Amino acid sequence: MAAALSAAALLLGCCGAALASGVQDQAEQFFRSGHTNNWAVLVCTSRFWFNYRHVANTLSVYRSVKRLGIPDSHIVLMLADDMACNPRNPKPATVFSHKNMELNVYGDDVEVDYRSYEVTVENFLRVLTGRIPPSTPRSKRLLSDDRSNILIYMTGHGGNGFLKFQDSEEITNVELADAFEQMWQKRRYNELLFIIDTCQGASMYERFYSPNIMALASSQVGEDSLSHQPDLGIGVHLMDRYTFYVLEFLEEIHPASQTNMNDLFQVCPKSLCVSTPGHRTDLFQRDPQNVLITDFFGSVRKVEITTETISLDRDLAGFENELPKDELATEPLKYADQLPVAQIIHQKPKQKDWHPPGGFILGLWALIIMVFFKTYGIKHMKHIF
Amino acid sequence: MAAPLVLVVLVAVTLRAALYRSSLAAFISERVEVASPLSAWKRVVEGLALLDLGVSPYSGAIFHETPLIIYLFHFLIEYAELVFMITDVLTAVALYLAIQDYNKVVFKKQKLLIELDKYAPDVAELIRTPMEMHYIPLKVALFYLLNPYTVMSCVAKSTCAINNTVIAFFILATIKGSAFLSAVFLALATYQSLYPVTLFAPALLYLLQRQFIPIKPKSKSFWLYTMQYAALYLCSLVVIICLSFFLLNSWDFIPSVYGFILSVPDLTPNIGLFWYFFAEMFEHFSLFFVCVFQINVFFYTIPLAVKLKEHPVFFMFVQLAIISIFKSYPTVGDVALYMAFLPVWSHLYRFLRNIFILSCVLIVCSLLFPVLWHLWIYAGSANSNFYYAITLTFNIGQVSRETRRTFTSC
Repeated sequence: MAAALSAAALLLGCCGAALASGVQDQAEQFFRSGHTNNWAVLVCTSRFWFNYRHVANTLSVYRSVKRLGIPDSHIVLMLADDMACNPRNPKPATVFSHKNMELNVYGDDVEVDYRSYEVTVENFLRVLTGRIPPSTPRSKRLLSDDRSNILIYMTGHGGNGFLKFQDSEEITNVELADAFEQMWQKRRYNELLFIIDTCQGASMYERFYSPNIMALASSQVGEDSLSHQPDLGIGVHLMDRYTFYVLEFLEEIHPASQTNMNDLFQVCPKSLCVSTPGHRTDLFQRDPQNVLITDFFGSVRKVEITTETISLDRDLAGFENELPKDELATEPLKYADQLPVAQIIHQKPKQKDWHPPGGFILGLWALIIMVFFKTYGIKHMKHIF
Repeated sequence: MAAPLVLVVLVAVTLRAALYRSSLAAFISERVEVASPLSAWKRVVEGLALLDLGVSPYSGAIFHETPLIIYLFHFLIEYAELVFMITDVLTAVALYLAIQDYNKVVFKKQKLLIELDKYAPDVAELIRTPMEMHYIPLKVALFYLLNPYTVMSCVAKSTCAINNTVIAFFILATIKGSAFLSAVFLALATYQSLYPVTLFAPALLYLLQRQFIPIKPKSKSFWLYTMQYAALYLCSLVVIICLSFFLLNSWDFIPSVYGFILSVPDLTPNIGLFWYFFAEMFEHFSLFFVCVFQINVFFYTIPLAVKLKEHPVFFMFVQLAIISIFKSYPTVGDVALYMAFLPVWSHLYRFLRNIFILSCVLIVCSLLFPVLWHLWIYAGSANSNFYYAITLTFNIGQVSRETRRTFTSC
């Protein structure tokens, strides 16, 4: 009897301990990824009716991102032209992504932040870097902080190293990389996922050099990204292949999905896409295996209701050691270290470090004296000595 | 004559000092007519700042001054205004002394020719008297110092003033007859801005005349003297260039200075003729046209030497004018230098045709330059053609003036 009781107590104790450690594990799960909020910047850079598919691309990503939880206040949607109300649109107020008008990605609740001629390289870079005039409304700002995961999706016409905006200007991969570096230095993102669907899209992420950026592109340098299918009723191609298959992939995702980035990299193989999609993860600190799709595409708030007490102790520092081994060994940068304020405040006066070499001065003055004496005769020498 | 000269110098220095303190100084330094990529003060300061940061000033296309200017301003940069005022004064004094000596030579020659009865009887009005020639050097100094172009160049701190000083010293040395000093200063002038090499011919002619060596290709003494002078000149040039090497221990300055002058890569508008052509030219042809344009500067030397061998100083004046019209980056400072010589041949003015029109062209164009610049760049209602038209007119006026003067003097 006593043995059974003690055995039961032991069992209960073990269960309790197991439960408690289970909750502890769950709590540690909260800190698996470093972000607390999500933002999305979705840019369509082409205007004119025959670039319908670029607007449809952007709107389908917008739709997925909203469906997975990112609110409009955290989405900056830039559409260079209005396809829904274009006079050539036989179905006004709609933008379809599948032929036979199966899916209208332009619903009642589409909020376009930068529209038509406001989509310029300058505005795009200002949104990214935050250098916006004070009069800009909140909906047009990217108010991210250092715990934000940002999804940046760009589509349009591009080439090797550039992306064309509005048929009149370009943004180069170098500018983009520098803009991201500015974002990193201002701590405007925790992690960044950059997706681009243009011709030779891989050239746009070649120059990135800031940490925590993962990039996907629809085609390699030298390849064109192709469009998917035209709708004979509307008369234009509705979507690009890569984004079409990404949309189909994202339709399977729901906020609790555990699908990771490696699955996204497999989307649209060459057989379906004709071009070879590329991706770049060398700047990213976590293994893509451990990165959930919803880390970028959704705004998943980790909320668990429990009545257990969980001690958040310093042991969580041990969590850092449990990170996968392929983490980049970067030392954590403190904010204060990056601005040499002391140097700026106490500006030292300009030091003239350069002096002409002695040989030069000697030679020059020797020449001048020689010329002087040659002209005026040696007889002046005796006045000097 | 010293007192009036001192007075003129004082007035000029006061004027410049007053302008330095006024708000016009900043405005004038920005004007493209006054500051070219070769002579802008901003670029000198930039180059010296780069040097302090440990970077060669010739890396990048900002700084196009010679190493001797680097050396000069390294120590004198805080006194830059004084330096430029002193250079202007030195130029004026050098021109004054040069023209004084030249007038003596002219008068002696005239006396000789009168005694030899070489003049026709009705030339009586043209005979130059010591009275009228007495004030010419002062007028030259006055013309140089109080010329608005010179004042603007000085206030803008354009290194064109230093080029002018070197050329003025060269003219002084030539007229005084010292071949050695003349060669040294000519080498310095060439080293500073390539084009004074064309002044070799008039200087040689003058020195030969002074030595009474006849200019005949068969004469041995002619060739001997020419060789001597050329050797002096080339040796000094080589010595100066090698010395400049030792300033920064690199030959970078040669493409930056001479390559820049010759290949004209910077097409900022100025009062010259190069920028407009090359701005709208296809790359394919630019080498050819650069050669054509540059030859234009050097081309007139031989014909003028043949024609004007009796009047080498006038030849020098015309050559200076040609340099300042056809050089790749002219500024009004270059124009001011040759304009200073106008009083020397004032006796020819009664024969100059179209004086009124040509002087009006000069004044009107000078006034229109800033107006059309404003209209083009700031108001946006004109374009580069307008500014270029005024440039063309200005240069045509200058060329016309020179040709008429040449015809009257021959």
